[in-house]
Amino acid sequence: MMFAVFVAMSFALVLGYMGWRSASLASLFVCFILAVWLFLWEIYSPEYGFRMPWIQTELVPNATTSDIRGA
Amino acid sequence: MTSLVNHPGGLRAAIWLNYIFLLAMMLVIAGILTAAMTLQYGQGELPCPLCLLQRVAMFGVCFGIIQSLRGGFSYQNTGISLLFAMFLLIVSVRQTLLDIYPRPGHEYIGSEVFGIHMPVWSVIIAACILTAYALKLTVLGGSKHLMETEASEFPLISKLASIVGLYVVAIGIINTVSVLVQCGLNQCHTFNYQLLQ
Repeated sequence: MMFAVFVAMSFALVLGYMGWRSASLASLFVCFILAVWLFLWEIYSPEYGFRMPWIQTELVPNATTSDIRGA
Repeated sequence: MTSLVNHPGGLRAAIWLNYIFLLAMMLVIAGILTAAMTLQYGQGELPCPLCLLQRVAMFGVCFGIIQSLRGGFSYQNTGISLLFAMFLLIVSVRQTLLDIYPRPGHEYIGSEVFGIHMPVWSVIIAACILTAYALKLTVLGGSKHLMETEASEFPLISKLASIVGLYVVAIGIINTVSVLVQCGLNQCHTFNYQLLQ
């Protein structure tokens, strides 16, 4: 999939450089959609989904500073 | 609105400044991509999948710039560059947050550059690109005349833009071949080049 993203980007760059704007924009659009899809696929975890549970973002009730340091 | 671009003598200077800005931006991004490739081929640091997507984002920013420098400036091309700059910011922030809390299997990949790892550099780079565009649009964005003069009116800028643009296209193709060798048609890993096994 990563190869497809780079192929689409290369086509866009080459076609754009040669002045074929419509074709290069179409290729760039394909590249962008594939890149976004691949990004979402890469960061998705079957266990966590898109969340990042290693980052503490919830308020811990009645927590003291030493509790947070020890976490 | 009174600004530099609406002053009769300032119009040509504003157009020149606009193209110089684009050329400088492309030069800097080409330099960053070259540095990343040097780390990859010189020190054997294989890029992770998110690192590769960050390279794609930088090539996307360059695409908009090349189009403006070769086909004439347009705000559509600026929009393309900004879109990929936002993508660069999102990917690099997510990667930075992914490895911000060191744990088994998750630490920053690759060596530090000036004490900062590459994903964090990417956040800084994306923020700089977005800030630079915001400043440029603030100073020069009020003119309707920027689109009326092509970069070919400035021979030196035009020549340099052709050379740097061609260089960006070339390293784009090199990166594509490199991705094929590293990942094949499968998922990318940082262990080795899959096709060289």
